[in-house]
Amino acid sequence: MMLLSRVADSLYWGARYLERAEDTCRLIRSYTDLVIDLPTTAVSSWEPLLAVAGDRSTFDAMHDETKEHDIVRFLVAESANPGSVASSIATARENLRTTREVLPRDVWQAVNDLSLYTVANVASGVDRRNRARFLHRVIADCQRIDGAVSTLMTRDDAYEVWQLGRSLERADMTARVVGVRAAALVESERSAAAQKSEIYEDVQWMGLLKSVNALQMYQRATRGPIEAHKAVGFLLRDTMFPRSVAACLGAIRRSLETLPRPELTLPSVERLDTLLAAVPVGEALDASTAGEELDEAMDHVLLGLGAVHDAVASTLFHPGH
Amino acid sequence: MAHVRPRVDLWDELVDSDGTPRPAAAALVAHLAALEHAELQQRQDLAEIDILTMGITFTVYSDGRGIDRAWPFDIIPRIIDATEWKRIELGLLQRLRAINLFIDDIYHDQRIIADGVFPVELLGDSVNFRPECRGVDPKFGVWSHICGSDLVRDSDGTMYVLEDNLRVPSGVSYMLENRAISKRVFADLFTQQSILPVDSYTDELNRMLTSIAPDGTLDPVIAVLTPGIYNSAYFEHSFLAQRIGAALVEGADLFVGDDDCVYMRTLGGRERVHVIYRRVDDLYLDPEVFLPDSSLGVRGLMRAWRAGNVAIANAPGSGVADDKVVYAWIPDIIRFYTDSDPILPNVPTLRCFNAEEREYVYEHIDELVVKPANESGGAGILIGDRATRSELDAHIALIEANPRNWIAQPILSLSTVPTLCDGEIDARHVDLRPFILSGETSSVTAGGLTRVALRQGSLIVNSSQGGGSKDTWIVETR
Repeated sequence: MMLLSRVADSLYWGARYLERAEDTCRLIRSYTDLVIDLPTTAVSSWEPLLAVAGDRSTFDAMHDETKEHDIVRFLVAESANPGSVASSIATARENLRTTREVLPRDVWQAVNDLSLYTVANVASGVDRRNRARFLHRVIADCQRIDGAVSTLMTRDDAYEVWQLGRSLERADMTARVVGVRAAALVESERSAAAQKSEIYEDVQWMGLLKSVNALQMYQRATRGPIEAHKAVGFLLRDTMFPRSVAACLGAIRRSLETLPRPELTLPSVERLDTLLAAVPVGEALDASTAGEELDEAMDHVLLGLGAVHDAVASTLFHPGH
Repeated sequence: MAHVRPRVDLWDELVDSDGTPRPAAAALVAHLAALEHAELQQRQDLAEIDILTMGITFTVYSDGRGIDRAWPFDIIPRIIDATEWKRIELGLLQRLRAINLFIDDIYHDQRIIADGVFPVELLGDSVNFRPECRGVDPKFGVWSHICGSDLVRDSDGTMYVLEDNLRVPSGVSYMLENRAISKRVFADLFTQQSILPVDSYTDELNRMLTSIAPDGTLDPVIAVLTPGIYNSAYFEHSFLAQRIGAALVEGADLFVGDDDCVYMRTLGGRERVHVIYRRVDDLYLDPEVFLPDSSLGVRGLMRAWRAGNVAIANAPGSGVADDKVVYAWIPDIIRFYTDSDPILPNVPTLRCFNAEEREYVYEHIDELVVKPANESGGAGILIGDRATRSELDAHIALIEANPRNWIAQPILSLSTVPTLCDGEIDARHVDLRPFILSGETSSVTAGGLTRVALRQGSLIVNSSQGGGSKDTWIVETR
């Protein structure tokens, strides 16, 4: 079934923004859990959240300090932050409103429900008291939407474009979590070992894995205590876990192979495969510069994901531009 | 108890002046009487929640930007007896057959002018006559494929045609959605009596659009052309595209190739389009022929249409019959082309074009409704008995400046339907817009969109000006 380039573009962004909203919710949920769990000496800053999911300069222009409430409000409710949960859902709805004729009706209704819920509840969803409930509902609604897509939608170009948007955004978030939080954690483990102080690294690694919903699946896949190099390896290279960067790349590749003119889009994915294979994990992580290296490697992966987007946009959405 | 109160001076669609339910409405009125007000209000509240979650909206403009508003709906339906409806349906089919013959004649031999039935001056002044359409032969001679005619009932019970929207009439999606909501609100009543279904409309629309595809097209590709998401009827454009499996396109999604055929820009490259259901006004359709700055249309579209490579519904130029001055001639047009008297009457209409009738309008302007020929959505309308002397004089000056642009009609006291207002049931004025499809065959919706003026005493039913809507039940009685 044919699909208009303009509609494909909106569908792609709708899917990306929904994924972004869902992933940001997971991130905030797991970080809130982590901070509540740990003694105040171990983790007190909320800045890592901003580093993963926020636009630091926009935040700094609005706030002098980095307090929990301000950061969470910025990431959940701030309309001036285009990546906040509220903005992402509003943008997703505006995009998907122009794609109703290609989406199953239940998908649109679920998007509309989510949007109504968010508008009505986002202000109260910032406080710790209501936060978990709000974030949980947004995540559950996003999964309901994905469920309706996967059980109701014909496997045509529109479906593949949806999957493409979802997978790209998902890969992006996992790469950010590894680049910011895993890198910082590796770094602090090293300095803590030198100073013989307690940083509750196992709890922190659990929190990190939870932020991309990977803890349970990691534990099934890797028996024994959590180890830094295994956790990073799992998030980057485990092709069986659907939120790992490698699994997302696999999904992106499968969608692009089905969509028109793969010869123009697939090379960007192949370059990303090569990049990913070169990221230092395992024993390499014990080296003294591991944190920095990981951070830098993830920057390259994020740029590579940007290049996939560019190839897709110029080939499929705006041909001739 | 939710009792329906009669109004002696007005015609109510559900009860007569004694408060006795009309036969087709008996079951509903009894059902309402058995409900506590609180329960009725609760059903209304639930219906409004359904409308929100189903995303049934229309767009209004405020401070220069479009706002997506929930569709206003009142749960108490308007009811028409199926026997009366059958006659209205025949009247509408007769009317559209004549109107399409008229449009086709105007763009060809102009027999009706040669025979002295229709004044040629009117054509010269018409803002909707398109000389570019002369000599074009749309399939089956049909120009206005989708028409929404507005019907009103006066206090004596007569149903009149108030106007015919022959260009890009909207509202049919709301007719369908109102039924979907209403079936939830009054599920029991739908099983207890025979209420004609409305859902077949989109299938009929699909069949009609398929029938007008260029000859030899086996599996025509249909596209709905919308001005875009900021148009007040965007919801409907999207809704109809979904229901008929068509692509919803904007001007920039289409182009006309060297072969004078129309194509869409798709992921896989270009794809031929055979039928365009356009929801864009004539003048924006093709910058090559009409407004050169229009970005809503498609350069070369008129070339493709004239070459017979694409069907456009409604055809460009069909608005020539959709002007309130031409309206005054419709009864003559019906007689001329069908050799029979109109089944449905026009509202008696004074034509300011005619000096004698114009003088009458000046003298009696405070008893008349004065309307410009080519405005929609209620713009420019003067209701004489509600205007000040200076407003009346201002309108007289407007008529004097351009008599051809004005008609006047008696002030009808539109019929009412009981409506839930702040928890109480009260009478509110309504009109009715049925939709008529014409292609290889013709059909009329079972009922149509009932619009209701929600403010007490108001006659303005437009949703852009505080109007609401109701489901319309055609009920079979024995």
